[in-house]
Amino acid sequence: MFDFLIEGFGVALSPLNLGLAFLGALLGTLFGALPGIGPINGIAILMPLAYTLGLPAESALILLAGIYTGAEYGGRMSSILLNVPGDAGAVMTTLDGHPLAKKGLAGPALGLSAVSSFVGATIAIIGLTLFAPLLAEVAVMFGPAEFFALMVFAFSSMAVMMGKDPIKTALGAVLGVLIATVGVDSGTGVMRFTFGMPELYDGVDFVVMIIGLFAISEILLMLEHAHRRDADDEMPPLGRVFVSLKEVMYCKGAMGRSGLLGFIIGVLPGTGASVAGAVSYTTEKRLSDKEGTFGKGDMRGLAAPEAANNASAAGSFVPMLTLGIPGSGTTAVLLGALMLYNITPGPMMFTERPEVAGGLIASLYIGNIVLLALNLPLAGVFARVLTIPRWVLVPAIAILAFVGVYQLHSDLTAIYLMLIIGVFGYLLRKLGFSLAPVILGYVLGGLMEQNLRRALSISGGDAGILWQSGISLGLWIAAAALLVLPWLVPKLLAGRRRHAS
Amino acid sequence: MRIAADRLLGLALIGLAAFIAVQSLQLEVPFSYEPVGPKAFPLGLAALLAGLALVLVFKPGEDGHWPHPALALRLLVVLGLLLAYALLFTRLGFVPASFLVVATLARLFDASWPKALLTGALMATGSYFLFTEALGIALPSGTWLADVI
Repeated sequence: MFDFLIEGFGVALSPLNLGLAFLGALLGTLFGALPGIGPINGIAILMPLAYTLGLPAESALILLAGIYTGAEYGGRMSSILLNVPGDAGAVMTTLDGHPLAKKGLAGPALGLSAVSSFVGATIAIIGLTLFAPLLAEVAVMFGPAEFFALMVFAFSSMAVMMGKDPIKTALGAVLGVLIATVGVDSGTGVMRFTFGMPELYDGVDFVVMIIGLFAISEILLMLEHAHRRDADDEMPPLGRVFVSLKEVMYCKGAMGRSGLLGFIIGVLPGTGASVAGAVSYTTEKRLSDKEGTFGKGDMRGLAAPEAANNASAAGSFVPMLTLGIPGSGTTAVLLGALMLYNITPGPMMFTERPEVAGGLIASLYIGNIVLLALNLPLAGVFARVLTIPRWVLVPAIAILAFVGVYQLHSDLTAIYLMLIIGVFGYLLRKLGFSLAPVILGYVLGGLMEQNLRRALSISGGDAGILWQSGISLGLWIAAAALLVLPWLVPKLLAGRRRHAS
Repeated sequence: MRIAADRLLGLALIGLAAFIAVQSLQLEVPFSYEPVGPKAFPLGLAALLAGLALVLVFKPGEDGHWPHPALALRLLVVLGLLLAYALLFTRLGFVPASFLVVATLARLFDASWPKALLTGALMATGSYFLFTEALGIALPSGTWLADVI
């Protein structure tokens, strides 16, 4: 059953792939540490360049996965040192991480977060190894109707779990799905929403979409912070760089619990690192905060979200590899990258392309060790990245974005489209939207429509097929429950309380 | 009714939904072997979009922080600069276009003139060699200069 893993280690241990895992980890940590650039932006900016290297699919995926996990490591730097979370996943890290840095324990805090990240990721990668092949065996039974129901479930779990505003999350997903409908309809050859522009016949290009949505909108957003100087902008001294074994052992419970929790949340489609960080922090606070030290620089309060968000990063590979449904915005980008290689992840990948599935999982084990080895001694070096001024960073992003799109298309229309999407992304972010649902909708939209139409073709137009099988019915019920329960449960509880009094 | 950003957004999205619905109804399908066809999915999405947008119109959230006029102007300048970069990219060539745009962009992000010019020069030439030599990407050398020479 674990043949794929043995083959995977064979792939991942080749000198090229080892080098790529190392390079990915290094680049990812650097990009994650850059102020304002989280994992998803890092991948969006670096992906087109990885594509030009002409690597085989498994090597490209190993590089990108290294960037992904590395960026999750790097995202903690600005949270701890500057109280500015690099991305949504690192918000909870600021709560105890920054107070620790203010106490003069910045170095140990960075070291501890590296160790917690390692522990959380290790738990999740082992979970991925055990769980993914099992899920793939179940997923082989999925037909178009089940896949359609699964995507409805993914979107509803995302609407409920992601972001503060479920309506805006849902709207973002719908907009993403709509963008995916642009282009030639695969079923009939009819042009949809192309407005006579030949560039749109193949749909809105994936690279143009992610670079516009993330990199260009980030440039516009950074302009806003160009003048604003926060009081916390002064970098605290790092102090001693190594974390002591005693401190690590003090947090072992928090790491273990949060790693497990983060893995489970990561596996759920549509919920990523931000939810994992928040849930694990509040759980740990409830369990271990006896003296009220959480939020004032408690090491366990730092270890919990760090273990959880790295565990969820690895966990979100489970639905992506087995079902082709990304578990987070970043895995949605990775899924799109795989599609550029004409690989559609899904249950057959473990049997048909074991070198891709196994190579990726094996490289996660290797990358995780590389990251710990890089991050413990080099924390001070990576922290220097935070002091890069915006006037260097922004032009560099602009060049990477333009070259990334240009080298794939050699065409100015693609660049104009990228700028338009960038403005669209900026407006959405200003209006309080999170971009992850948009990108998930965009990546899943095409598959969703295809599966719906395939299912209805099988049944000759009878919609009953969509909930005929036990699996799909279960998914529909689960999706409905997710949407209704958050409203219903508080009301029921309030009703019972009134009844009791 | 208070004017809120979310209300305007909701109205705009309802307009978008109507536009999508009209566009999809106008799609002409010559023949189809399947019962659904290309219209139904966008129509369903348009309905969903309109429904969600209506909620936004009636229950708008907080307004958030919008850029004040001076910042809005700088935003437009940066956008214009990126557009100019796109226009100059193939015409002027990668190195000169990047030099101009990087230097101006750095200046807009509060670098002093000497620093901005130095950043522009280093970044334009450095990235040119990185992309062409190390990554093997062909970058435009410029049509205008070629015409002059």
